[in-house]
Amino acid sequence: MPNFGRLLREKNIIFVTLALCVLFYLISPRFLSLDNMSAISRQIVPIGLIALGQYFVVVSGNIDLSMGMGSVLFAIVLGVFFGLTGGVALGIVAVIVCSLALGFFNGVLVAKLKLPAFIVTLAMLFSAQGLSGLIIPRGQQIFLMGDFFRFIGAGKFMGLYWSFLFLVALFVLAYVVYNHTRWGAYVIAIGNSEENARLAGIDVDRVKIGVFMFSALCSGLAGIVLSSRMGFVQPGLDGNGLLLDGIAAIIIGGTLILGGRGTIGGAFWGLLFIGVINNALNLLNVEDVWHQVFKGAVILAALGANWLLWQSRQVEAH
Amino acid sequence: MTTATATTPSRPGFKLDSLTQRYLFLILLIVIASVGFGIANENFYSLANIGILLRSIAVPFLLSMGMTFIMLTGGIDLSVGSNVAFSGGVGVVALTATGSAPIGFAAAVAAGMAIGAINGVFIGRLRLSAFMVTLATYALARGMALVIYNADSINVSDAAFLWLGGVSWGNMPVVIPFVALVFVALSVLLYKSTFGRDVYAAGSNINTAFVLGRRPERTLVWVYVLSGALAGLSAIITVGRVSSGQPWAGLYLEFDAITAVILGGTSLFGGRGRLLGTILGVLLYGIIINGLVLTGTNPYLQSLIKGMILLGVVLLDTLVQRRNAQ
Repeated sequence: MPNFGRLLREKNIIFVTLALCVLFYLISPRFLSLDNMSAISRQIVPIGLIALGQYFVVVSGNIDLSMGMGSVLFAIVLGVFFGLTGGVALGIVAVIVCSLALGFFNGVLVAKLKLPAFIVTLAMLFSAQGLSGLIIPRGQQIFLMGDFFRFIGAGKFMGLYWSFLFLVALFVLAYVVYNHTRWGAYVIAIGNSEENARLAGIDVDRVKIGVFMFSALCSGLAGIVLSSRMGFVQPGLDGNGLLLDGIAAIIIGGTLILGGRGTIGGAFWGLLFIGVINNALNLLNVEDVWHQVFKGAVILAALGANWLLWQSRQVEAH
Repeated sequence: MTTATATTPSRPGFKLDSLTQRYLFLILLIVIASVGFGIANENFYSLANIGILLRSIAVPFLLSMGMTFIMLTGGIDLSVGSNVAFSGGVGVVALTATGSAPIGFAAAVAAGMAIGAINGVFIGRLRLSAFMVTLATYALARGMALVIYNADSINVSDAAFLWLGGVSWGNMPVVIPFVALVFVALSVLLYKSTFGRDVYAAGSNINTAFVLGRRPERTLVWVYVLSGALAGLSAIITVGRVSSGQPWAGLYLEFDAITAVILGGTSLFGGRGRLLGTILGVLLYGIIINGLVLTGTNPYLQSLIKGMILLGVVLLDTLVQRRNAQ
């Protein structure tokens, strides 16, 4: 089967993820139980939202480091509005407005002032972290209760979590936008060569600002989902961990960190990969202290395997 | 052509070049910040506080130096903070096992270099993205630190092991002359050795460097090993400062180091920058954080101010340069 080798190379993340599932199933049959599958589907939603927003940013040749701490900040914005008014609607509107404003700000600095995205969003990471702790004092929590949070956090439709269905719908939408609209093509073109994109008449600045507004919106949504699931918000949440998981998901899914290349499907599989690992470490009663070791080693192994496959393609090409 | 301009840093003529401009700007900010904090709090200029300030920036300083080398090659190292915890753990365990401080020191530095070597081989030899590889070792090193310590801190009482980070001569912590020595050594390495020129060459244009036989793939391995070694030294200082090894030591220090290097005007894309800029970046950062701690500010406000400084300096610099270009 000559095509199998090619399939393995190009879609290797699918095989790796499925192989891991089989492995974990053999270790603990509970891994593939319906309960656990749906637990995974719920756990990956915040990471998935970060990954999706980050995906367009990375493909456009930029990076958004503010997404993780942004989620924490937006969760707190939601919590504060909920605490003040007791209602949800105003909080959601506030999160959407604030996140779009942050994205617009990032985008303008990157596109119009030509500052590196890495620096701008690193500064925003610190600022969001700072603001989140200034709005609510350290160690204090705001509890989120009510139908809305229960619906987002644990609501199910035909056995599937609403939040997961929502994430899948967003991925499908992103797939269509990325592959079948002009805007998607512009993002790829900018990631390949900003200069060429400009010469081709693309309004580069506008697309870039749009990309950052989308990523910030995604981090706002991630903040809503995360806080609903936990039932409270507090400033000390590990936003950077969320950010790095999201980036790892899309890179493992084959997105080129330098921009210009990637597939939405790959990003989704990368997300499942991260979700499966995170879940299995808990399920298999791996001691907490080993989690990070395992995760780091698996990412390194995935990178190494990708390199080996890439090498074999080089050899074949000669 | 690219390597030629990179290996001979442009000299300021009638017009100051952009790096010199950035350094003057940073010095101005440092002066403003120190005068401001001096007025706000009379203890700011006490010898004791200056000692505390310099000691507190020793670790960020070492890590930022390593980060400068890496960013000059166009790379990035997200693993240094975790590496501080990991190499500290190895050092403390080696110390407890053998009772010998030199072996503990050697173990810590070797452990740091080992993580650096993993980064270097994956990035330099396999040509994988530095961001991704060091993201993996960021998790790996932190995880191994947690395993070594079993998620708990270990007290250290060996006086020789704590000497570097903990002892002061009068108001002068011994770590200050040590760090100064490291700086001199690194300056010689960067400006007076072939390796230093290789670093600039690899960062300016890796393909050209390769064609010219400068072996950038090898240079890349060594800059990450260097950064790992500096993380090991930082670990020893960190353990000495608090008299215990802690699994969460150095958390997010990589972000601080990257910030200091960027403040110092080193390009994110490699090939351009100097160690002097990084010193100024670390100093500005340290003075502001120290000044805020002294005035008892909320740590979250410090984060916010960090972000604002980073954005403000880079933004102002860009605007000034753009006006000059017109």
